[in-house]
Amino acid sequence: MKMKKFINSQDSLTKELLEGFAAANGDLVSLEPGNMIVNRHLAEASRVTIVTQGGAGHEPALSGFVGQGMADISVVGDIFAAPGPQACVDAIKLADKGKGVLYVVLNHAGDMLTGNMTMKQLAKEGHKNVIKIVTQEDVANAPRENSDDRRGLVGAVPLYKIAGAAAAEGKSLEEVAAIAQRFADNMATLAVAVRGATHPSTGNMLADLDEDEMEVGMGQHGEGGGGRQKMKSADETAEIMLNALLADLSIKPGEKLMLILNGAGATTLMELFIVFRKCVQILKEKKIELAANYVGELLTVQEQAGFQMFVARMDDELIRLWNAPCNAPYFKKF
Amino acid sequence: MAFGKRLLSSMFFGAATAWRENIAALGDIDSRFGDGDHGITIGKISSLMIERIGCWQGESIREFIEGVASGILGLSAGSAGPLYGTFFEGLASPLGDEDDIGGATLKAMLAGSRDALFEITKARTGDKTMMDALIPAAEAALGAGDDIGQILASAAKAASGGAKNTEGMVSKFGRARSYGQKTLGTQDAGAVSMSLFFEGLEKGAKEALNGQKAQKG
Repeated sequence: MKMKKFINSQDSLTKELLEGFAAANGDLVSLEPGNMIVNRHLAEASRVTIVTQGGAGHEPALSGFVGQGMADISVVGDIFAAPGPQACVDAIKLADKGKGVLYVVLNHAGDMLTGNMTMKQLAKEGHKNVIKIVTQEDVANAPRENSDDRRGLVGAVPLYKIAGAAAAEGKSLEEVAAIAQRFADNMATLAVAVRGATHPSTGNMLADLDEDEMEVGMGQHGEGGGGRQKMKSADETAEIMLNALLADLSIKPGEKLMLILNGAGATTLMELFIVFRKCVQILKEKKIELAANYVGELLTVQEQAGFQMFVARMDDELIRLWNAPCNAPYFKKF
Repeated sequence: MAFGKRLLSSMFFGAATAWRENIAALGDIDSRFGDGDHGITIGKISSLMIERIGCWQGESIREFIEGVASGILGLSAGSAGPLYGTFFEGLASPLGDEDDIGGATLKAMLAGSRDALFEITKARTGDKTMMDALIPAAEAALGAGDDIGQILASAAKAASGGAKNTEGMVSKFGRARSYGQKTLGTQDAGAVSMSLFFEGLEKGAKEALNGQKAQKG
C-alpha cells in the first residue's frame, strides 16, 4: 500500500504536528522547547506532578492527556521514536513543584533506555524525589510472570487519569505511585489488527496482512503478535480477546472491571460499538461488574485498522479516581 | 592540531560517511522487523557528528567525544540514540586530557564503549542486536598488535563478520523480538550500523595515516 497522507516534509512532521496540537488546545497546554507539551496550570500546582514520554504518531496519545487531573508534561519524540534522556531530565525538573514527580514510561526498547538513563542522570544530580512507573500490559508477547517483556499499550492513558486524580487529591508521591502501580499490576491489553499502517517518515508499510486475515496480538508499531488467523466476526473477535484478558487477570464473578476499546486509527466507531456490545453481554453472563469504560480513539497507529481491548481489575478507590474531574485536550470528566 | 586529533576527526568522519551512504539500506532492513526508522536515526547521528567534526578546535579528544555523546543523547532517536550516545561516552571513558592516541589507548577506548553498553543493555552475543558486531570488534581490537591501522582492520573485520552472523539468529531484543523465528535470514539493523561504523573508522584512519606518511616522505 502506497503512503497517502497530508504532510509537508518528512523532516518537520513532529514539529508541525506539535505546533498544530498546541495551537488547537492553547487554553489547556503549551508547547515548550525540547518538544514538551506542558499543562497550562503547572506553574500554580502544589502537588505531585506527572511526566510521561513517548514517540509521536500515536495521536491523541500521549500529549492529548496533558491537562488538569491527568499528566503535567509529555516529552514527545519523533515518529514512533523515544525522546532523548536530556529532554526528559529537563521536563522532570520543570515539573517538580517540591512534592515530587511520577514518571510514567511505556515498555518499549527505546523508551526504557531513555527512562533508565533519565533516572540515572537525575540521581547523579541529586534529584531523588522521582518515582518511575513502567506500563507493560500486552498479554500477547509474554506471560504474566515475565511482565517485563510485555509492551506498554493503551493502559498508560487510564493510568494517567487515575494517578492524576490521586495527585490532585494531595496525596504524597509514595501514595500516588502505589495507587498507579496497583492499577498497572491489574491491567491487561490485547490488540487486533486487520490492516497495517504506513510509517509517515519512511512511507514503509508497518505490517502486511492478507485481505482475509487478522492478527491478534499486533503491537502498536505493527510488530507481530503471533495470532494471525482468518478474519472473524465482531462477536467472535470480542469473545476471543475478552476471554484471553479475563483469564490473564484471573477475573472472578463479582469483581469490578474497567473496559476500554481503543480504535487504532482506521477502525470505525460503528465497529467498536458492535464489539463493545458483545463484551457487555459476556461480562453480564460471567457476572462481572462493568464499573468503568471508554470507547473511542486514545492511542492510534496512523491508519492501521484494528483496536486494542483493555481491561483492569477495579476497586472502589480506583473507580472514584477514574470518575474524578479532569480536563485534558482529549479526555474530560466533569 | 595534534596528529591524534586529526586522526580521530578523520576516523569519525569516515564512520559518519559510511553511515550516510547507507541510510536507505538501514531503513530497508529495519522496516522488515522494526519500524523502519533506523536509517533516519543513523542519519541524524551522522549529521551531528559531521557538524561537530567541522567545528572541532580547542577541545581535548575527551571533551570532543563527550560532546558528541551528549549531542546524541539530546536527539530524539528511539533506542539507537541512547545506545550510540552511551557508546560514545564509553569511547571517551579511558581518556584524560591527551592530544594524541596510541594503540593502547585506542584499545582501551573500544573496550570502554563495549563496557558502557554492557551497563545499559542485557543483550550479549547471539541476541541479534548491535552487540553482535560490537563485542567481537572490541575483542579483535584487544587481541591485535599495537598498530592503529591493524587494530581497526581487525575490529572492522570482526564487526562485519558479527553483523553477518545475525542473519542466522532470532531477535531477542527490541521491536524485532515480537517477530521471533521470522527474523531468521535478515541481518539486524543495529548490528549492520555498528559494523558500518567500524568500517568507516578503518577507512578514515587509513586516509589520515597515509596523509601523514606522505607528509613525512
